Amino acid sequence: MTKLILSTGNIVSGGPSIIRKPGAYRSNLELTNSLRSNFLAAQEDFAAIVADDAAAHHANGNGIENGASNGNGNGHSLHLNTQTSGRAPASVWTAEEGGALYVPRIDWSEAGLQEEPSQYSITVKLFFLPASPVSRRAHLAREALDLVRKELNVPAIDLLIVSFPGMSFEGDCEWEADKQNASQGNDEEEITTWAAIEDLHRAGVAKTIGLAEFGTEKLAKFLQRVQIRPAVNQINIKNCCNVPPPLLKLAKEQGIELLAHSDCVDILPEGTLRELLGQGLGGAGILADPETGAGGLQGDLAPQWVVKYTAVVRDRGVIENKGYFAGAELNDI
Amino acid sequence: MGLLALGTALDWPEAKTKAHHVRAWGIKQLLEIWNKAKVKERDAMLWGDEVEYLVVTYSKDDPEVLLSLRQADILAALAEDKSLSKETGAPASPGGTKPLKNDPPPVFHPEFGRFMLEATPGKPWGIEFKELLNVEADMKLRRTIAKAHMLPNEFPITLTTFPRLGSPGVFTEPSYPVSGSKLRSQFVPDEIANPHIRFPTLAANIRSRRGRKVQVNVPVYRDEATPWPWKDPTVNYDLHQWPEDDDVRNGAAPDNFIHMDAMAFGMGSCCLQITFQAKNIIEGRQMYDQLSPLGPILLALTAATPVYKGFLADTDVRWNQISKAVDDRTPEELGEKPLQNDRWRIPKSRYASNSTYISQDPRLRPEYLDPNLVIDNDIKQQLLDGGMDDRLATHFAHLFIRDPIVIFNEDLQELDLTKTDHFENIQSTNWQHMRFKPPPADNSIGWRVEFRPMEIQITDFENAAFAVFMVLITRVILSYNLNFYIPITRVDENMETAHRRDAVLSEKFYFRRNLFSAKSSRGGSGSSTPRNSSRPPTPVGPVEDEYRLMTINEIINGSAYAGTDSSEAEGDDFPGLIPLVESYLDSVNVDVTTRCQLATYLDLIRKRASGELWTAAKWIRHFVQTHPDYHKDSVVSEAVTKDLVGKVIEIGEREVKGEGFKGLGAEVERLLGGFK
Repeated sequence: MTKLILSTGNIVSGGPSIIRKPGAYRSNLELTNSLRSNFLAAQEDFAAIVADDAAAHHANGNGIENGASNGNGNGHSLHLNTQTSGRAPASVWTAEEGGALYVPRIDWSEAGLQEEPSQYSITVKLFFLPASPVSRRAHLAREALDLVRKELNVPAIDLLIVSFPGMSFEGDCEWEADKQNASQGNDEEEITTWAAIEDLHRAGVAKTIGLAEFGTEKLAKFLQRVQIRPAVNQINIKNCCNVPPPLLKLAKEQGIELLAHSDCVDILPEGTLRELLGQGLGGAGILADPETGAGGLQGDLAPQWVVKYTAVVRDRGVIENKGYFAGAELNDI
Repeated sequence: MGLLALGTALDWPEAKTKAHHVRAWGIKQLLEIWNKAKVKERDAMLWGDEVEYLVVTYSKDDPEVLLSLRQADILAALAEDKSLSKETGAPASPGGTKPLKNDPPPVFHPEFGRFMLEATPGKPWGIEFKELLNVEADMKLRRTIAKAHMLPNEFPITLTTFPRLGSPGVFTEPSYPVSGSKLRSQFVPDEIANPHIRFPTLAANIRSRRGRKVQVNVPVYRDEATPWPWKDPTVNYDLHQWPEDDDVRNGAAPDNFIHMDAMAFGMGSCCLQITFQAKNIIEGRQMYDQLSPLGPILLALTAATPVYKGFLADTDVRWNQISKAVDDRTPEELGEKPLQNDRWRIPKSRYASNSTYISQDPRLRPEYLDPNLVIDNDIKQQLLDGGMDDRLATHFAHLFIRDPIVIFNEDLQELDLTKTDHFENIQSTNWQHMRFKPPPADNSIGWRVEFRPMEIQITDFENAAFAVFMVLITRVILSYNLNFYIPITRVDENMETAHRRDAVLSEKFYFRRNLFSAKSSRGGSGSSTPRNSSRPPTPVGPVEDEYRLMTINEIINGSAYAGTDSSEAEGDDFPGLIPLVESYLDSVNVDVTTRCQLATYLDLIRKRASGELWTAAKWIRHFVQTHPDYHKDSVVSEAVTKDLVGKVIEIGEREVKGEGFKGLGAEVERLLGGFK
């Protein structure tokens, strides 16, 4: 089994990937677009390095391969393709570290925010994807949050919102959404998972914790069973800006803030990820061609989580850093 | 308007002799505050709005609506009201909106026009999103308080100009004869201006420096029955009281233009201004530059001024009229005579669009600057010697080409470096569409940038929408590090374009194609993939390729929404300012109620840009043209004016009562939509 960690880097000044178009505003597009452009940027950068090195080595006539500037390019054990035409070989622009393959490789030396952590409001939204087993979620949550803390170089984040698979707050107006929501998700799994989120709060790494997509009925049931109550419930109000009064009332009584979002719940389907990493047009060339089995890693791809993080300068409302990590597993056939 | 000091104001020939004195001290004061404040850091985002009102007397039974000249009495009544003192806090706001009981009450200020009032919030706004919703409530509160301190038949209204200001007959209450010694206007009395010595002196010295009256000429709208060529029938060619009465005999009133001759025609206009505090001087300079190209766009989008002196104009906005109304340039400076006594030719009025950029942003290419910018080289050298960088020194050396207009003799005794009065004297009479404001002398607040082009809107809903939109735009610019730079002379051209009738829908504006910078330019935070330092820099093409003509719809809503994406080259889609704001809002934590209210503000602006809703200019024009007393001859009669103002009052009363705009007629629907 190979673990993959995908990352976008800081996307706020990233241009096209943040641009929305009418009817296509959901964050799954933001995620996939920014992943794709970050892969491409890394490939271009390393293609240039490889070319420079090749030229330098040629000029020196010393024939040493894989110069120091390539870092720990140890893709050999991963059977990565090394010479796709015009593209930097995956071995140079990705990196294996602590048992995970980082796509692209990350230079942590530039990690961190410009001012001290207290100046920021840092929100992290963790999406558990359908393939993430409940038994592993405590571990995955920790792993995701650790990546964010490392990226922003902060000991703790301000708000951790958790999004469960199979839930949404969508429908013809929010009334309908609220009704449909009642029968979605899996109460037992959500309660079990929440306990892990509570632990992160107790450990001091998430100052407040919250939920996403909980309608009136689910939220009322949920509140009866948790030890630490969510501070926030984030719902999608894109459809008509008409929050059902029962939900407003419940949230108000329980002191839960209702926040708006426009994320897509199905944020990283397996097919999308396979395309992103595959050999096709616009793919990163990490995965082998399923037909021929050539050109890269093989196995069943299972995206497990996505985490979105945003650091906003508190009293200036400026987003300084926003990005995504995604975790996936590639299981041997 | 700033603080109104009292003293002995110098008349022009004498004031002129002290101009260098004021400039020299002003520069010393500027260097003092710049040195003190250039290291200021991490000031919070605070901002404020200014709403200006006309005060009219109106009753259903009176045949006419008039401008009330009781500004001083109204301000006195407001000042005497103990419930409005800082200590007691504001009364609850009307219309069932959230009470603001812990906030200090709004503040009212005098303005140039004696028929005007300005109101600001009691304290600056922050950037908490919930707080943004208080803006509209606070604006309504200001209107309610103002009304409560007026006579029963007086109303504060937010039209940019009074349609019949300067028309023959009675248009003020009380009425005064025209042709006074200060303004020497044949259309408006001296009493039209605030009687504080500063204002008549300002008007008189501008006229005196110019050597004749100001000439505010607006193209008349040519309707079916408008005589052509059109000669302004209200111009009197037979006055012989003042030397300036010769102006019209010397061609001051050309054919096909509505002719006006006094500062009140410009400075009597109401606008909506927003001031932002930056975190430091660097961010302030960046915001100044980035907001500059947005000025003409927001001017066209807020257009509200289609009538002057009782005639329909062929333009939709107030800007150039104010520019001309305070244009103190001499014939030499205007280029009409060879330079003998004056130092340079000056291409623009002291009220005009910005003439330079001020940031040290590496994205600012030298080609964006105007090579013909007029500056005072001695002053620039003093600033450079004082340690200021070239670009900022250039900016102030440009502002300081102007003479101070109002000088108080008492202020010239001793240089006081704990004040900024001499600096402000020049700075605050440079009315450009952006203003870069250093902290006050005590350094108690931060560097600020004022966005000045927007026209006041009829309702507080609209005024709040535009104010909040601009606030959000600044956050988007800073978050995404957007780049709006185009050559500054193109901004000038856009400013002219914005004047044309219905420019919001029928004109195109120069705008930058790609707002985003190459990834690493920002020095932003966070990890990265290791970059190759030898990677070649992004190639820099011709400046002309960086921008193109766009409609306001495309600029505000994006190419896809505007449906213009196919006509341009592939991949040249413009994202649109509103989609960028929405992208920003999707990235920050906003509660559902706030998000929905912000969505209505964005909707209003979206629909104004797309033409789904009318600008106030279009609405007023339509109102006039469909009125039974309008005879297709461009004349806006007293009866039309009365009904127009009556409708505006009706809309305003509905709004402060929280009753919505429904049932006010189809035309009002076209202006305000179904928002309330």
